[in-house]
Amino acid sequence: MTRRSPSDAKVSGGGQRLWSSIEELSGDPAFQAWVDAEYPAAAEFAPTARREFLKLMGASFALAGLTGCEKSPFVAALPYVDQPQDTAVGVPKFYATAVMLDGYAHPVIATTYSGRPTKLDGNPDHPVTRGRSDIFMQAAVLGLYDPDRAQGPTRRGEPVSWSDVENHIGALRREWARNQGQGLRLLIGSVTSPTLLRQINALLKQFPAARVHIHQPVGNGWRRSLAAAAYGQALDVHYRLEDCAVVVSFDDDLLGPGADQVRRARDWSSARRREADKPGIRLHMAESVPTVTGAIAGDRLVADASRMPDLARAFASKVGVAEAQMPDLAPAEQEWIDRAAAACRGANGRALITAGVFGHAATSGWVARSNDALAAGALLEFTAPLETIATAGRLAELAADITAGQVETLVVLDSNPAYSAPGSLDIGDVLQKVRSSIHLGLHRDETGELCEWQLPVAHALESWTDARAVDGTVTIVQPTVAPFYDVRTIHQIVAMLLGQSDPAAEAMVRETWPAKLPGDFEAGWRQALHDGFIEDTAAVSVDVRPSTTEITPPFADEGLDVVFRPDPSVWDGQFANIGWLQELPKPLTTLTWGNVVTISPALAQRIDVANGDHVKVTIRDRSLTGPVWVMPGQAANTVALYLGYGRKRAGRVGDGLGYNAYDVRPVDQPWLTKGSLHKVGTAETLAVTQLHHRMEGFDFVREVSSQHPALPPASPKPSIYPQKSPSKNAWGMVIDLDSCIGCNACVVACTAENNVPVVGKDQVKVGREMHWLRIARYYTGEVEAPRSFFQPVPCMHCEDAPCEMGCPVHATTHSPEGVNQMVYNRCIGTRTCSSYCPYKVRRFNFYDYRNAPESPEQAAHNPDVTVRSRGVMEKCTYCTQRIEAAHVLADKENRALRDGDVVTACQSACPTGAIVFGNINDPGSEVSYLRRNGRHYTLLEEQGTRPRTTYLARWNDMSKDREG
Amino acid sequence: MTQIFSPAADTWLRLLLAGGLALLGGGLVGVIGFAHSAYVTSTDIRPRQPVPFSHKHHAGELGIDCRYCHSGVETGPRAGLPPTATCMTCHSQIWTNSAMLEPVRQSLTRQKPVAWTRVAKLPDYVFFRHDIHIAKGVGCETCHGRIDTMPLTYRAKPFTMEFCIDCHRDPAPNLRPQERIAEMGWKPPPDARKQGEAIAAHEGIRFGELTHCYVCHR
Repeated sequence: MTRRSPSDAKVSGGGQRLWSSIEELSGDPAFQAWVDAEYPAAAEFAPTARREFLKLMGASFALAGLTGCEKSPFVAALPYVDQPQDTAVGVPKFYATAVMLDGYAHPVIATTYSGRPTKLDGNPDHPVTRGRSDIFMQAAVLGLYDPDRAQGPTRRGEPVSWSDVENHIGALRREWARNQGQGLRLLIGSVTSPTLLRQINALLKQFPAARVHIHQPVGNGWRRSLAAAAYGQALDVHYRLEDCAVVVSFDDDLLGPGADQVRRARDWSSARRREADKPGIRLHMAESVPTVTGAIAGDRLVADASRMPDLARAFASKVGVAEAQMPDLAPAEQEWIDRAAAACRGANGRALITAGVFGHAATSGWVARSNDALAAGALLEFTAPLETIATAGRLAELAADITAGQVETLVVLDSNPAYSAPGSLDIGDVLQKVRSSIHLGLHRDETGELCEWQLPVAHALESWTDARAVDGTVTIVQPTVAPFYDVRTIHQIVAMLLGQSDPAAEAMVRETWPAKLPGDFEAGWRQALHDGFIEDTAAVSVDVRPSTTEITPPFADEGLDVVFRPDPSVWDGQFANIGWLQELPKPLTTLTWGNVVTISPALAQRIDVANGDHVKVTIRDRSLTGPVWVMPGQAANTVALYLGYGRKRAGRVGDGLGYNAYDVRPVDQPWLTKGSLHKVGTAETLAVTQLHHRMEGFDFVREVSSQHPALPPASPKPSIYPQKSPSKNAWGMVIDLDSCIGCNACVVACTAENNVPVVGKDQVKVGREMHWLRIARYYTGEVEAPRSFFQPVPCMHCEDAPCEMGCPVHATTHSPEGVNQMVYNRCIGTRTCSSYCPYKVRRFNFYDYRNAPESPEQAAHNPDVTVRSRGVMEKCTYCTQRIEAAHVLADKENRALRDGDVVTACQSACPTGAIVFGNINDPGSEVSYLRRNGRHYTLLEEQGTRPRTTYLARWNDMSKDREG
Repeated sequence: MTQIFSPAADTWLRLLLAGGLALLGGGLVGVIGFAHSAYVTSTDIRPRQPVPFSHKHHAGELGIDCRYCHSGVETGPRAGLPPTATCMTCHSQIWTNSAMLEPVRQSLTRQKPVAWTRVAKLPDYVFFRHDIHIAKGVGCETCHGRIDTMPLTYRAKPFTMEFCIDCHRDPAPNLRPQERIAEMGWKPPPDARKQGEAIAAHEGIRFGELTHCYVCHR
């Protein structure tokens, strides 16, 4: 039998080779060594002598049976003293509440067992999430159980009591009463909470000389200023992707991570699926740094960040914006503009043009006018910005005032400027000049450490508060668990500043709403808590026209374009201590546990660096050193730096990883600036997963085009195994590769649902990450401008499963419903099943990755799923606990299961609805419907494993243009 | 040339073989017997409880229904132990000064649970649900035995995998009508199997699908 090397992999139709790393494309020997290793994850061990091995195995076999004789101990049972009504032990309860990202509410339904939240999912009734979620929402529950949270108030690091805090605030208040709050400054982050804004405004009324400053390391501030430049007033811009036929994006990662990802991804996918025989929406994208949006764009132009204003101007000129003059364009740029403009004209007012939220104001200006020229008004919705503090200043002004000695007291509300302020402001030194500083935050972080007082605030899941979602809809955030540390909600602490003594947490939120809830307050309040949002609180649309002032092109500057991007996993750094997010392979780079400086292959060649080599990035008079990542498809002269790493006081998980890009971030150009890059000469090994769990075969990712909308039908494979008798329920899953945007929400949801452990950076480096579901990322084409593909790969639940043949102890077996079952107690850890698995979906516990018994993370575990110990294999179970729960529910009602009774964790999390699970024996089920689709195919069909998990091919938007 | 083996060598070999086989067989029987023994299955132990609660008195003599105290049995995976408040519904009226009940009163005043010792306990890797068993006609007595005769509670049945799976393979003889679920000492009619099969058909029990691993382990 000839062994097929993975480099034979092809994309059907295009006939192009699929590759997953630059080393693979260039034929690096290190890559070949990794591929040739029989079991890469175990490869680092010295070979054990055969005799030694037999001795050890003999002993293990002899002792294996004895563990069955273990006597189960008698343990204590602690019933309630007074059981709350409607509470049954072991039966989950669900609460509608919200977690926060950049101040915006992420509306969730929290699953709680015995009063502790274990899983969050999008609120299905909420107009923004509609039951869908993203990685930050899924991982928020681990942030609640973070053992490194501040657990009580401290003063200069020494524990104090809340009455000490109250006394101190009382003394400060007497001072402010004398001087109207002269010298009192508040520093806030992104805030949408009506209650907090009401409280801050009340404070400003009490002490009119006080001032508020806003510090948003990412936030919506820059986006609003772009809108202000384009439309003459600060606005929130909403896209109606559902109604679009064509989208042209100028460096706008519109489907990428952020507060609006869930809504946009949902709208995008429903537009994409609008028509059966062709994609319902097409994306033309000019992009400097590859993003998930660029990866799914049909027509992608690689262009430097500083080219965007010119490209937008050229496009505007092409679509008839009178004042736009055609700039000089490269041939590739010209062709892209022509294609995009032609597509827009053909879309009859259903074409939307978008500009990057981290881009230049000129781009936004031209885009706004192009939208106007294309009559895209119905595809855009403008709303007045959500309320904020009208008189708020910026962080730079605060720094200047502190240096000038005008600040006596600084109260930092849930913001971490000592870490996330631009390095040139020297906030660390500046903060120490303030006589009295108070930090309110979840952690005693970089800022908390420098402030005199650190007051721990409650996590969103243990707080009474409120917040607005991206569309302005208000969610009343209710606690899902009583605080288990000595903390207060942010409203309680601000109430202390307002002179109230130890107020109840709920009271302040209730106080905000009496006049604004329709009808009877108590009934309205209960309804709001039940629904998870208050109806008709979305921001009001406003009618605007693009500004007509002249658009000034950005000042041309020498050097490389340096762009800053929030990290796709830890965002601005606030999630740095959440292990689930650290271990998540970032889209496209597949990097875990750190950040990199991404550069183009051309630049890498010019300065002679490879992945992991250290480079020094210099911006003005500041510089940083970080490992380089050669990013296929990045623009030649653009360098991307990622925020969120280089934390020093994040906690045990997040400290000391990566470089801190805030150090070199200019105050005036926070997202796009100029700089230079030099090779340092040292290097490090990055924890990337792109080569882990490689399959051997071909046609992993298939494509169809509007000319050939169906794949050739599969020929049934002969099998020597008897056909299984058909059961009533035969579980199967279909994953639509055309809808997948590689966002990782499914991976985190699976981690949360199935108690998947976090293994750490060193273990990931050798390929031992435990995710039951991986998002494989492939490229085709040239390294300068490749096409990118995402493919979620869970267990295939093969009907003729090789792993089941391989297991010597029958620890993996087949259920009558077709689920490939893993029995942990039987597993003796030979790893044969993993070797036999052609899809490489099995994960082995090389160590005991469980948390210490006393650690608070234990409480985050799903009680319906075993927490695995060392030495056993594990893998996707199709969320068997959910299947069995649905069976019990249906059996109790003495009925058959219905389509939709079982929803797997990945399916429920997916923002685009790309994952569908159900009974393939029921011809009416959605999964059966998709299996009859022309795009349906089986991964590694040639293996004859007859998998239950199958795929829908991706649409190749551009095949017509390329062929014709 | 001297002989290596003495004339008795053959006999010794046979003896050794027979002895070895006997030892192996005996050992096997011993191990299996040990695994089934009351010592390992803990069916002989009446653990010490903070209050010497008598099921014989409450369930047997007074005839209190199981579900009065174990209220979660029909709705959730766990039958649940009664909260202190349930004990006090009666014991705030009767035996109010009994020394035996001191821990219960202490629990109420201090708002601390009574620390009972669990008698019927399955290993952590078994995900057992009470509600579905009750709903499908498996009576309390089937697994917990004649609770109404136990002055101090003990584990009446060995909760081995064999015990569970025997019934999952062939539940019919163990099924009883819904109205008899909590009854102690229920005698199946002579045609137990026929009745069980009728109940199974009526309740829609999924024969053949109840023995795969993920039904109980996950």
